[in-house]
Amino acid sequence: MAKAKPAPIIHTERLLALVPFITAHQGISLKDLAAAFDVTTKTMNDDLTTLWMCGLPGYTALELMDLSFDSGYVTIRNAPTLKAPRSLGMEEIVALLLGLSLLKDSVNENKDLVDRINSLATRLGEKGGIAAKFSVSNPVSSLIRAQIIAAITEQQTLSIAYHSLYNDEFSHREVKPLEMRIDGGVEYLFAYCYKASALRVFRIDRIESLNILDNATDQLMDKQTTASDGFYSSLIFSSRLRLMKERFDLQDAEVNQETTIHSFSKQWIVRSVFASSGSADLQAPSEIRAEIAQKAQSLLKRYLALQKI
Amino acid sequence: MSRKSERLVNLTIALLATKRYLTKGEIFRSIEGYEGSEESVERMFERDKDDLRSLGIDIEVGGLDPLFNDEAGYRIKPENYSLDLGSVNGEDIALLSLAAQAWKGQALNDVAHSVLLKLQSMGIESDISSVPHLAPRMAWASDELATVLDAITTRNRISFTYLSSDLAHENREIAPYALASSAGHWYFGGLDSTKNSLRTFRLDRVLGEIQSIGKPDNFEIPSNFDLFASMNESSHSQVAVLDIRKDKAFGLRKMSTDIEDKGEWERIKLNYSDPSSFLDSILWYLDDVVVIEPPDLQKQVIEALTLLVKNHG
Repeated sequence: MAKAKPAPIIHTERLLALVPFITAHQGISLKDLAAAFDVTTKTMNDDLTTLWMCGLPGYTALELMDLSFDSGYVTIRNAPTLKAPRSLGMEEIVALLLGLSLLKDSVNENKDLVDRINSLATRLGEKGGIAAKFSVSNPVSSLIRAQIIAAITEQQTLSIAYHSLYNDEFSHREVKPLEMRIDGGVEYLFAYCYKASALRVFRIDRIESLNILDNATDQLMDKQTTASDGFYSSLIFSSRLRLMKERFDLQDAEVNQETTIHSFSKQWIVRSVFASSGSADLQAPSEIRAEIAQKAQSLLKRYLALQKI
Repeated sequence: MSRKSERLVNLTIALLATKRYLTKGEIFRSIEGYEGSEESVERMFERDKDDLRSLGIDIEVGGLDPLFNDEAGYRIKPENYSLDLGSVNGEDIALLSLAAQAWKGQALNDVAHSVLLKLQSMGIESDISSVPHLAPRMAWASDELATVLDAITTRNRISFTYLSSDLAHENREIAPYALASSAGHWYFGGLDSTKNSLRTFRLDRVLGEIQSIGKPDNFEIPSNFDLFASMNESSHSQVAVLDIRKDKAFGLRKMSTDIEDKGEWERIKLNYSDPSSFLDSILWYLDDVVVIEPPDLQKQVIEALTLLVKNHG
């Protein structure tokens, strides 16, 4: 964790940021101002009281900032020294450069916009004397996220093209998006699926495309998920331990140590063992073990036939 | 708390407003809050200077008078204090705001929030009309991302414990050069001094905290350093030909450069660079994918299948 700043420093930073912000938003309500700075209205009131005492040496009415906020709306006069926002710090510049790189990844077909983003990034980089290049992408499309958020707020129905990796199936569904959630760094959409007539969870990075439907086929929604307890498998790992730990989401992994894994999808475990190309052996349950052997055997036969041609 | 911040704000205003360097004597006499014994006022001022500098405020020290160069003076130059992005229009503000919003609720949330407030204080209306409707979001990262970022910008070396490919705990010490994210993961790279070579690390494989060590400005970041170029240096792209069952293996189909219809199957061409992870993703699709070319990849699939049969038989 980067070193946390002490409270008076954070407070000073906020006070210095407040003056230009109020200057650009004369007459803003105390409530909106507090929300913009992510503090309570009580804290904002204290901040403004403190600022009210600040000004040029001499500290007479002529030198102090002229701050008015007792009506619930905030205006500021006589604060020329602090009225411009402070220059960007190094961390702020890098956060922006990373953000711009992600934006570029989202709009890479729009050449004008890409040029514009590149020009901003070059200017910021020069400003900060930052030579390093930043490359950022996210499997979740910024366009798709924006459409989902809009559909949730507008309560619209979406038609999504969804790829289910476990079943290796591509499907088109009509869903009523309810909310977005993050779990273990992965972003999910909770939606009512008209096809399944039930609440379903979709990985947003697997939504390949979507359309907002004008006429929602609204039905009574039955928010019941089909619950399943899942099952346990026992595996032995022989190599590539870090990969196995990440693939099977384990706390730890040891060579030739039997490990128990809980999962909900048989498809997932069969595919994961296959994709481990020999680094993982499934011991139990025996029917999945037999299925893996049988599938590998029949595929092997096909390859051997191919080689004979 | 507010006494101290009030004094810091007043000090900033006074040092910004002055056209000439102010001596300590002038500062103590004129700025409110410097009270107490000479010694404690001195200490208070030293701390205040450090605090303002920690906020990134550049306090210049200069001689008061070339003829009587006996006492140092202080000032903050407005051109160093104020934000200057050159000529920017509403569309630029919209793009920069979106770039900052991508960090909402993420590792650099606080940094990005302060950027947003600055952008909103410039008095330039954000113009979103020519920008597509976007909701960018950074890939998830632990709070350690902020430490790496801080170390890159201050050029501090870092040390950390890293999980090696066989799950051993390795102690690493590097000069960090750059950060990047790809396919949902964050990577950082730099010079590993003990191995004297450029290395790349995945952030979520770091165990525990990343420590910043030594003094700032410890190294120079080479201007041509490119994290992804150095990551892919060893691997060159190869072409594979696969048969995939219709409506299956969507992940591979998406990468294809050429598709040929063969009835129940389709023959696709695609490029790959990491042979080991490519083999894994082919096997993931079970009997819906058959490797036609290259021969060594086909051989690896056959070996893996033989092993799977042997281990599960």
